[in-house]
Amino acid sequence: MIIPVRCFTCGKVIGSIYEEFKKRYEEYKRAVEAGEKPKETPKEILDDLGVERYCCRRMLLTHVDLLEEAAPYE
Amino acid sequence: MILLVKVDFIDLKERSAKLIISDTKPSFVNALRRVMLADLPKLAIEDVIFYENTSPLFDEIIAHRLGMIPLPTDLKLLVPRDKCSCGGKGCANCTVRYTLSKEGPCTVYSGDLQPEKETWSVVDPNIPIVKLFEGQRLILEAEAILGRGRDHAKWQAVQAPAYKYYPKIEIDQSKLDEDAIKKCIEICPKKILVEKDGKLVVSDVEKCSLCKSCMEVCEEGAIKVSGDDTKFIFKFETDGSLKAKDALIESARILEEKYKDFLESLG
Repeated sequence: MIIPVRCFTCGKVIGSIYEEFKKRYEEYKRAVEAGEKPKETPKEILDDLGVERYCCRRMLLTHVDLLEEAAPYE
Repeated sequence: MILLVKVDFIDLKERSAKLIISDTKPSFVNALRRVMLADLPKLAIEDVIFYENTSPLFDEIIAHRLGMIPLPTDLKLLVPRDKCSCGGKGCANCTVRYTLSKEGPCTVYSGDLQPEKETWSVVDPNIPIVKLFEGQRLILEAEAILGRGRDHAKWQAVQAPAYKYYPKIEIDQSKLDEDAIKKCIEICPKKILVEKDGKLVVSDVEKCSLCKSCMEVCEEGAIKVSGDDTKFIFKFETDGSLKAKDALIESARILEEKYKDFLESLG
């Protein structure tokens, strides 16, 4: 649906960094698809954002944003 | 017996801390860890009144998401509602009120919560709460109160408090040949073993995870890895509602209070 506010396992706030992660991840994806060398890998993005534990990392890596699908239904 | 606990900060930031607690026992450090998890009070949104919600999410989901937002907690200014002189009705001593009013298309962020006083504005203003599309509206009022981690995870101020025994690595150089040194360096998952002048030395003992892989690949008795059960490396993070140092001091105070209560109950 929408990114959870906190990590399910440890409780670290991850909602606030999702938008930046997504922006930088899309830049990485664009570079890979264009055959260029990406500036940073998803691993480096997560490290830079201070997401240390694998419980918080999976929150960002595996999230699927589906809120727009539900948007027409109030 | 007098126990003089010694504390050294290795790393102290606003939202995280790493310290060495020495001359103590695992039971004490564990008590401190559990107080941090379950007994440290923190401010979080408890009641939400919805005036209008035509967003794609249910009232309950939005209320839950609001509850999870870390709010600045000044423990000197607030008392828990059940101990407040107002008798649980909710007054300025025990309750902090927020309002939110937004119309789409936009994203509602935690920073859109308007507190009564500027000092209570949320610590992390970039948490998305819900996305509003054309013509959708969200108008609500929220009340935040003090609570403890044992009642709900939203009142847990400290994240991932953990400790480990201080690693002790003893190396008997006479039992190690060149080949064994190479094997040890190779197998160490934390890469803390290095060769120096033909001898095996430890570069950063605090990083050792006590996995004992190096003990297994070389001759028996050449390396001995053990944990010191009187010295601990203690790490924790906070969500920003309390400063790391304040969280530690407050936890220690709560633990002291618990022992005092115990003593009093003995008569």
